[in-house]
Amino acid sequence: MTQQAATRKLTIAKSMAEALSQEMERDPDVLVMGEDIGKLGGVFGNTAGLLDSFGPERVRDTPISETGFIGTAVGMAAAGMRPVVELMFVDFFGVCMDAIYNLAAKQSYFSGGSVTCPMVLMTSVGGGYGDAGQHSQSLYATFGHLPGMKVVIPSTARDAKGLMLAAIRDENPIIFMYHKALQGMGWLGTEPGAITPVPEEDYEVPIGKANVVREGEDITLVGLGATVHHCLAAANQLASKGVSSEVIDIRTISPLDRTTIIASTRKTGRIVAVDDDYLSYGVSGEVIASVCEAGVPLRAPPERISFPDIPIPFSPALEHFVLPNSDKVIAAINRALEPVNG
Amino acid sequence: MAEVIVGKDLWDDDSPGVISAWLYEDGEAVSQGSVIAEVMNEKISFEIMAPAGGVLIIDAPAETEIELGQKIGSIKT
Repeated sequence: MTQQAATRKLTIAKSMAEALSQEMERDPDVLVMGEDIGKLGGVFGNTAGLLDSFGPERVRDTPISETGFIGTAVGMAAAGMRPVVELMFVDFFGVCMDAIYNLAAKQSYFSGGSVTCPMVLMTSVGGGYGDAGQHSQSLYATFGHLPGMKVVIPSTARDAKGLMLAAIRDENPIIFMYHKALQGMGWLGTEPGAITPVPEEDYEVPIGKANVVREGEDITLVGLGATVHHCLAAANQLASKGVSSEVIDIRTISPLDRTTIIASTRKTGRIVAVDDDYLSYGVSGEVIASVCEAGVPLRAPPERISFPDIPIPFSPALEHFVLPNSDKVIAAINRALEPVNG
Repeated sequence: MAEVIVGKDLWDDDSPGVISAWLYEDGEAVSQGSVIAEVMNEKISFEIMAPAGGVLIIDAPAETEIELGQKIGSIKT
């Protein structure tokens, strides 16, 4: 045995579970509630092992009653606890949105800052595995649009742990979105790039800070969650043809780190924004508007790739036809480079 | 050379599973006892540990169907 440089790698599911476990160990006010988060360990694996370690008082399986347990979490947060609750699929926010955007998001504002709302709402987003229109949506913009809460989404296991620790410690309500295709669960398909080395120690990934995951000169690609990996794949493929792409992982949907995006686009003069939420009034539109408002001189019209404004099809053939992917990113990059080449 | 095997009694019946993910790439160094792969059966996830430290050689890539007792890779010690 000579080589021993093996680093520990985790899936996002495991990384989230480790963050929760370590913070529950450190802070007795942290507790977890949701559907199937106890005995089953979460249908997406992100609460595995917590019930065994911390017991049913702090790791509570709830009935299918989002209105009840998410409302309860808002009250717990007001009373000084730090609840982490799970809305299994973001698609079902409809039944509990009053607790989220009228109660959680406004608690601090309505009390002049004297009652904060340190709760985390974990929720799965994204499709690509044929689960149809009520289990495949992303809805980044729906949550990003509403003031009073922060919205984050990791693209790697390393960021997932650091963002979760930062989220639990934040005094504001945090919507912690995690993408099913990145989770490391077989039945959802798995993006290998999301499985990364994860430090065992405590660390935070700052909320509100985007990450330049690849540096480049010719064009800026902006993504979040799964689309970061589409952007990276496109960048890698075009690198052999001499195109130097800079890739930015938004990481925080709200508040959006416009500074990083604008600085990158000022350097490259071209931008392609990619997300898998519905196109209109969406994250990519916001990214592009921010660049244009800043007066960044562009060498090509900005491009956005998003999910078209239709309910998500069940048929895999139809769904994959409309989902963003690296080929669509490559096509957009080529369009953006055309005026200069031609 | 140590074989990476899907444990014979990982789940109860003889239904097939699938490799959800390899946490390491072919040719990467792994240490003994670390989780190197996850397999799934009926939406339940199971961990596969490295039987020894060394260089991972993958036989069955991610997303392939596997059976209990199957050799899915090996570790070159």
